[in-house]
Amino acid sequence: MTSLTNAIDGQLPFLRRIFRRIFQREYFVYYALIAVVLFFSAVLADTAFFSLANFMNIIRQTTPITLMAIGMTFALAVGHIDLSVGSVVALSALVCALVLDITYWPIAVAAGLAVGILTGLVNSILTEWLRVSSLLVTLGTMGIVAGLARVLTNLESIPITNDTFTTIFGSGSFASISVMFVWTAIALIIGWIALSKTRFGAHLLAVGGNPSAARAFGINVIKVRMTAMIIAGTTASIAGLLYAGRLHGARYSLGEADLLTVIAAVAIGGTSLFGGRASVTGAVVGSWLMGIINNGLILWGFSTNEQIIARGLILIVAVAIGVKEDRK
Amino acid sequence: MTPRFHVPDTALEIREVHKSFGGVHALRGVNFSITQGEVVGLLGDNGAGKSTLVRCISGVHPADQGQILIKGKEVNIHSPHDARSHGIETVFQDLAVIPNFDVVRNLFLNREILSSNPLLRLLGWLDHKEMKKQSEIALRRLNSRIPSIDEEIRNLSGGQRQAVSIARAVNWGADLVIMDEPTAALGVEQSAQVNKLIKLISSQGVSVLLISHNIQHVMEVCNRAVVLRHGRIAANVAIEEITPDDLVGLITGAKQAA
Amino acid sequence: MPKPRTTRSLLATSLFIGLFSSASAGPLQDVDLTKAPVGPNGNPAVSASEITLSPDEIAQLKTQNYKAALVWHASGDWVNAVTAGAKSKFEELGIEVVATTDAQFDSARQASDVENVLALTPDIILTLVVDPVSGAATFQPAIDKGTKLVLLSNPISGYQANDQYTGIVTDDMYGMGSAAAEMMSDALGGKGSIGFIYHDADYFITNNRDNAFRSAIKEKHSGLEIVAEKGFTEEGQTFELTSAMVLQNPDISGIYVAWDVAAEGVIGALRAQGRQDIKVITHDLGQNNALDMIKGGSMYGTIADRPFEIGQAMASLGAYGLLGKESPAFSVVGFDKVVKENIAKTWEKSLHRPLPAKLEEALN
Repeated sequence: MTSLTNAIDGQLPFLRRIFRRIFQREYFVYYALIAVVLFFSAVLADTAFFSLANFMNIIRQTTPITLMAIGMTFALAVGHIDLSVGSVVALSALVCALVLDITYWPIAVAAGLAVGILTGLVNSILTEWLRVSSLLVTLGTMGIVAGLARVLTNLESIPITNDTFTTIFGSGSFASISVMFVWTAIALIIGWIALSKTRFGAHLLAVGGNPSAARAFGINVIKVRMTAMIIAGTTASIAGLLYAGRLHGARYSLGEADLLTVIAAVAIGGTSLFGGRASVTGAVVGSWLMGIINNGLILWGFSTNEQIIARGLILIVAVAIGVKEDRK
Repeated sequence: MTPRFHVPDTALEIREVHKSFGGVHALRGVNFSITQGEVVGLLGDNGAGKSTLVRCISGVHPADQGQILIKGKEVNIHSPHDARSHGIETVFQDLAVIPNFDVVRNLFLNREILSSNPLLRLLGWLDHKEMKKQSEIALRRLNSRIPSIDEEIRNLSGGQRQAVSIARAVNWGADLVIMDEPTAALGVEQSAQVNKLIKLISSQGVSVLLISHNIQHVMEVCNRAVVLRHGRIAANVAIEEITPDDLVGLITGAKQAA
Repeated sequence: MPKPRTTRSLLATSLFIGLFSSASAGPLQDVDLTKAPVGPNGNPAVSASEITLSPDEIAQLKTQNYKAALVWHASGDWVNAVTAGAKSKFEELGIEVVATTDAQFDSARQASDVENVLALTPDIILTLVVDPVSGAATFQPAIDKGTKLVLLSNPISGYQANDQYTGIVTDDMYGMGSAAAEMMSDALGGKGSIGFIYHDADYFITNNRDNAFRSAIKEKHSGLEIVAEKGFTEEGQTFELTSAMVLQNPDISGIYVAWDVAAEGVIGALRAQGRQDIKVITHDLGQNNALDMIKGGSMYGTIADRPFEIGQAMASLGAYGLLGKESPAFSVVGFDKVVKENIAKTWEKSLHRPLPAKLEEALN
């Protein structure tokens, strides 16, 4: 064989192969998590940072972000992005809170979820129909949905007094384990199976990796992309319900600041921002990483401004690693 | 390869196929056939109608008029799916693979083997183990030198990618594989590998329709050459009866078929 | 009180840096509670109740068919209440309100709002200026046309009372902060450790209230001690802040937080941690927290200002300008200490709206 094929013909030097395996992008988020935990444990040795209670706390308060990150993973897997998730959070929570006032909670939940499903549907129809990037379409729907959330209640907050709802969506616990853990676990398992174990997941990634090849192989590319966008909208809706359940009320400003956190979490978790490569477990661990950094900075005495900067930096680092990997 | 119990001589026959795009009459009554296991080179200058003809056969752009017969039976091909269900597979030059999928996932994309557990099957749960096993068999059949079937396609060479594409086509029981410039982007060594592969599958009874600009390549692997000019067949000759120079003449129109 | 709204407020509030060096130099400053905060040019604060118009003056105004425009910085409950107050007073004076705008904390937008509004030739403009620096240029065309300008809370740099504008109306910020400290003392029986969650941005009103609370605790309530201080810039961050604070300082028995919306996260976090024994004190009124208070949750009470009265006082000051009357340069309106027992009454007094049905229901 010529030198061209030699390099990839299974004759990589042993050490290089080991190196490549250890420093795979998929593992990066775990190393980052360990590094950050070690760092804060050292710096914040005199605080409650390294305690089970604090870690439970972090996972619990990060749950809405975790769910949005899982949904965003699906959108990114097909090569799309959904910028409207933050405003879907607010509108879903408000719609659910308003419907809760007039009828049974399952109907209110369905109404809240309908917001995300419809937004996802509209996002994907516009993307496919206008053939413009989902970035632009969802930038538009982000504004529209946020505007609707503001108009809907004239910026007033809506209290939620339904105990069943608040117990299920965020405030309850099973044997001293917060219901938020249950939500995280369910979303992680379903998301992981769907993306990594099923034909549906394979098609998602194929569409994201090379849409024309996927089309040539007979995959209904449009349908796959639409499903992914609807999943992203739906998880944002669930996140909205969890915020509402946790705060016993809904407000137009819920989720407003979450978009950057979600994208950073997904990117650091090993999902490509350009499609075809996605990891649900990475997104979940990525969201925890973002939560730990937030928590550590708070305990360290930094203000929210520094946290916003940290989020931006993480996104850039994650994207830089990802782009480097994709160019290989 | 599934054993063929009934083996008709003609794998594909094209009769009086016409195709227009707006005012452009791209195909003006094309007739030719490919027998089983035959490798036919489809030649022609840019704009001669090669791509259009291939797209009619593979279902991308259905023909306006004319008949397509598979094993002597007329078929309707309106979509790539129709073509595939009639045993016609297309190997494209560069859109044939998902770069970030490993070999197994590429071979089985949209033809996944699902779990035998009925409940998991309902969820679309993949049987990765079985697909891996089948992939190994398929690649072994092609004597392919893929380093590892777990390797992502983007880490493979162009020749190896073509091998995966061809394996994918053949593995699905294709009777006719259409290849669009399979060696255009490849070096000498790898082109030779692909040629070997083409000969191998033809010896296993698969017909190949090879679109190429490369006369040398056609001379090496094809049994017959079909030359298109201005949407018509300008020549349909056995390779052993023609010289490369004559072939060039036929393509450019400097020479008329006897 | 204008509630800064998360990210957009970051942009707006960053513009305030350095403008109030005499009145307030940002978060975490000690203040002298014996002095009421003075206006931007050293003008002493006057109670807004001293702004009055005689029947003769009202009759005189009514003959002129004057027009007014309300050029706000934002929208929401609080702004709605100010608008309602201004409109009711204008109606009394026979002045028509021809436009109401919302700049969404964007100074450029406010500039175009002013231009648009001027096409309607208002005689009075009531405003809360988004950016006190660029505001000078923004409102110059209005002044050139002889429009009387009345300001809410924020001054405009280079502008003088009874010259470019008639006067400024604002909350009694020190009074509110001190009242919050008194309420905290009531809630904890005069003894205990407190968490202090303040607005960590240069913002005149919130800084003054936060600082007044902090100073009042130190000076007037020796039994109370602030053991943890955390700043926030985004309302949504208070959940995480509180979780961390309570975990680190489990002995805290009361938390002060800058305003109502930010308090929602505090209350949510305390609920999640099962620490509803911790009492929360804040400023402003909101349904969610009011409900928690009525139901005996963490929310103990809040200090509510009177936006409706602010609107009325501003409208009257506009009339002062038209009548050529000398205006008080810096007027403050009162506030109420709101707890479960008086919520029904104080809600109406502050916002001039009946108590929402859901709260009414919870009370009975």
